[in-house]
Amino acid sequence: MRRWACLLVAGASLLAGCSDPEGAGATSERALTVSAASSLTEVFTEIGDAFESANPGVSVTFNFGPSDGLATQINEGAPVDVFASASPTWGDAVQDDGPGVTGRADFARNELAILVPSDNPAGIEGIDDLSEDDLRLVLAAEGVPAGDYAREILANAGIAGAALANVVSNEEDVKAVITKVLSGDADAGIGYVTDVTPGVGDQITLVPIPDDVNVIATYPIAVVSGSEEADLAQRFVDYVLGAGQRTLAEYGFLPA
Amino acid sequence: MGLIVRTPWSRIGEIIASETALTALRLSLVVATAAAAISLVLGFPIAWALARAEFRGKTFVRTLVVLPLVMPPVVAGVGLLAAFGRRGVVGSWLYEAFGVQVTFTTGAAVLAATFVSLPLAVLVLEVGLRGLDDRLEDAASTLGASRAYTLRRVVLPLMGSQIVAALVLAWARALGEFGATITFAGNLQGRTQTLPLAVFERLQTDPEAAFAVSMLLIGLAFVVILGLRGRFLR
Repeated sequence: MRRWACLLVAGASLLAGCSDPEGAGATSERALTVSAASSLTEVFTEIGDAFESANPGVSVTFNFGPSDGLATQINEGAPVDVFASASPTWGDAVQDDGPGVTGRADFARNELAILVPSDNPAGIEGIDDLSEDDLRLVLAAEGVPAGDYAREILANAGIAGAALANVVSNEEDVKAVITKVLSGDADAGIGYVTDVTPGVGDQITLVPIPDDVNVIATYPIAVVSGSEEADLAQRFVDYVLGAGQRTLAEYGFLPA
Repeated sequence: MGLIVRTPWSRIGEIIASETALTALRLSLVVATAAAAISLVLGFPIAWALARAEFRGKTFVRTLVVLPLVMPPVVAGVGLLAAFGRRGVVGSWLYEAFGVQVTFTTGAAVLAATFVSLPLAVLVLEVGLRGLDDRLEDAASTLGASRAYTLRRVVLPLMGSQIVAALVLAWARALGEFGATITFAGNLQGRTQTLPLAVFERLQTDPEAAFAVSMLLIGLAFVVILGLRGRFLR
């Protein structure tokens, strides 16, 4: 937007000139790239804004997606400063098979839940209903944390066979699962309790999974080795572990 | 080039022969062939109308037909969802009247592929029909040939290479379709997971396999285009 405004000004008055918006501030802007699990989309966007306000001249760019895909991007050389994964598996992947990490810590946990369209066309009331015939169940793909957790839960409940036969789509990430539930095309999906955000709360109903079969997701965060802004990246990690905890709690995440 | 370097040639046989890749290949061939056939059948009358008939709003219709070509595929998927999803304009009616849900079926994948390949078929056929001397059709009808007979014995034989070109282009576009499919049809092995979707899923966890399956897709397209050039696009 600023660049467009700038062009307009330049067009209106060539004499006035147009300073480079990047250099307009007193200090040169420092940029941080954070790759984060898609389940963190809303909460990290808010934490990012707060971090920017607390650190003038810093801009945080988020790359939200499935943790497995983000880890692959980083291991293929994507210039990322901070990685926040929805499972330790993909934190390990970057740590051991990729560029490596520093300052790694778990910053949140999250419960999984069954998500159904608010009109609940299939009448899902509990985990066992997911094995009913002719149900359209949507999960995140294998490898995606939400997808792996979901399969673990179905196995814990002893309904893996029947429930997996009901799967009509393996989605790219947990947000794509939400999309299919929102459109009403899926009868049910498995995602996180935090996925019922204010924006979709009236269109999605959450059906809890009993504790004895449920899985709790653990979220690690770390600075990716080779980051050109390693100090700033560590500040962001510390911020998430510190001031960010309240925001995480507001969005329904559990403390690590 | 990058793909050639990064493809794990020692593993390529094993990856391509894997069940996932073969299932996706088979499904891709079915979906692309069905989409190309439907594009031809639907595309011919549309092209005919655009090339021969005079009617109000022709420019508008042509714009509408070509629109899916320039539409981001995800938008096409969202549009199809709005039309054929369970709560969609047509989809909700289908669901309530017949209990049919289009999304997550192979039919949905074909629909998504047809949506993006139909414009190509129409464009090629329209150009072909325009290039055809319509006096030939007039001559046939003055000699007492019915319109159907003229179409079958005069127009279609003369249009042979355009029809093949339309089919192949539509087929190739359908083969590469990704965005509308994943948005509208979903991603399930053997049902809606075509080769591009298989590449995408594999890229998240096993990039090497994704490179190998990509090579398969490129190879397939290469062979088809090569065959086409040899015969029809001299």
